[in-house]
Amino acid sequence: MSGDGEKEYIRMVAETARTMWGEETVKQFMDHIERTAKAVYEVGSYPLDASAEPVTKLRPEAA
Amino acid sequence: MEPYWLSLAEAARLMRNGMLTPTCLAESLLDRIDELEPVVEAWVTVDREKVLEAAEEATREAAEGVFKSPLHGIPVGVKDIYYTDGTLTTMGSPLFAGFVPDHDADMVIALKRAGAIVLGKTETTEFALHDPAPTRNPWNTRHTPGGSSSGSAAAVSCGMAPLAFGSQTGGSVMRPASYCGVVGYKCTYDLLSRSGVYPLSWSLDHIGFMTRTVEDALITLRTLRPDLSDGPQTGKPPRLGLLSGYFKENASEEVWLGFEKAVGKLWGEGAQVVDVKLPESFSMAPSVHRVIMAVETAAAHEDSFRERADDYRDYLKGFISSGFLVPATAYLRAQRIRGQIISDVVRILEGYDCLISPSTQDTAPEGLHWTGTPSFNSPWSLTGLPTITVPSGLSGEKLPLGLQLVGRPYDDIGLFRVAAWCEKTLEFPLGPKDPHTP
Repeated sequence: MSGDGEKEYIRMVAETARTMWGEETVKQFMDHIERTAKAVYEVGSYPLDASAEPVTKLRPEAA
Repeated sequence: MEPYWLSLAEAARLMRNGMLTPTCLAESLLDRIDELEPVVEAWVTVDREKVLEAAEEATREAAEGVFKSPLHGIPVGVKDIYYTDGTLTTMGSPLFAGFVPDHDADMVIALKRAGAIVLGKTETTEFALHDPAPTRNPWNTRHTPGGSSSGSAAAVSCGMAPLAFGSQTGGSVMRPASYCGVVGYKCTYDLLSRSGVYPLSWSLDHIGFMTRTVEDALITLRTLRPDLSDGPQTGKPPRLGLLSGYFKENASEEVWLGFEKAVGKLWGEGAQVVDVKLPESFSMAPSVHRVIMAVETAAAHEDSFRERADDYRDYLKGFISSGFLVPATAYLRAQRIRGQIISDVVRILEGYDCLISPSTQDTAPEGLHWTGTPSFNSPWSLTGLPTITVPSGLSGEKLPLGLQLVGRPYDDIGLFRVAAWCEKTLEFPLGPKDPHTP
């Protein structure tokens, strides 16, 4: 994972937020915006097989 | 001994023997609430008349030999995000000030059918997220009780209720239970119905409850889910997988030393304790949890946020806003990684009765401005595995420490067996705590 890539992604997300809500709001919520964008970047950088399906529930039969 | 001192099991036994009535127990708990509530602030609503009316009915039934379940006549606290028919339900938010539902949450219906009495609604952080309730920790009223199920944990801890319900999306049952020195249980995902509980994050929300003993929590689960089977019983001390790695790196020195001491006791009484290496995918749990929760919270609040964003407190407002910025592909990718984490952890669990770690990173933080970090609990909300926290000792400041047990999916009853064994071995005092203000 590239540190520059992460910073650039966070900057892009903040820029999008600025366009949507204005400078004042982004300033107020910057900590949340950064933390969630960082998490998104990490998730996006994690290698996954195409067959890996989304899982939202435990399956009783897997117990 | 005042009835409020009794555990749920003791009270139920005395009622069956005709030595205690539901009315007598309810009156004792109401008096305890009157005495301590100005200090602890655990309750949003307690309707004395309604409680006594229900208690008198339960008393009449008991006199006729009618006991609907082991919870018959037992007063129960319910977190203020559970819908309760005819009773104020605020979700800890000005958005719901004055809101009175016209129906009960499924869990409340089940409790009433079992003969339990809704004692009142307990304080919650705003919509069960972060912005704190006014509740104080009975062990030291200058400290937070944890959250989001703040009122439920504090009420059980100081003997205002023998049982109180909460909910957990990150660490909202385990953390407050541990901070307040009580037993906390979070079910396997969807083992108990979430219907009628205001959602924070659909795929992460769990039902849970607090009691002062493991036996009381097991009685409650068995009453709500009598269909659950016992599973295999060996009668031997348990085989425990000790989680270090992430947990050791992030625990305070005092918490880790307390954990090692507790583990030493368990080992001394015959438990097999084996160091477990967490799977590589586990390192993604915090990020995956954050992405899923931010998106689902934003989605759950989308309509009301559009209309009334200014009625949300700062943390939730920022968190929701950040969720709107997550691409759909990232949300789905997080759910895909979640599947990987679940299968990796379940594979590890095959060799153990349960996994163990400290319940929290640190003891209850001083101040009421935040409720502590859920980082030791949210991985188990993400994986949906059942967890129980058992009080395991005290810190130098006389604040409770907790031992967190993580079980196999749907083997909640098996997890209770291990928890009962640990509770007996750790010998934490189980009576209610008189609030302490240094």
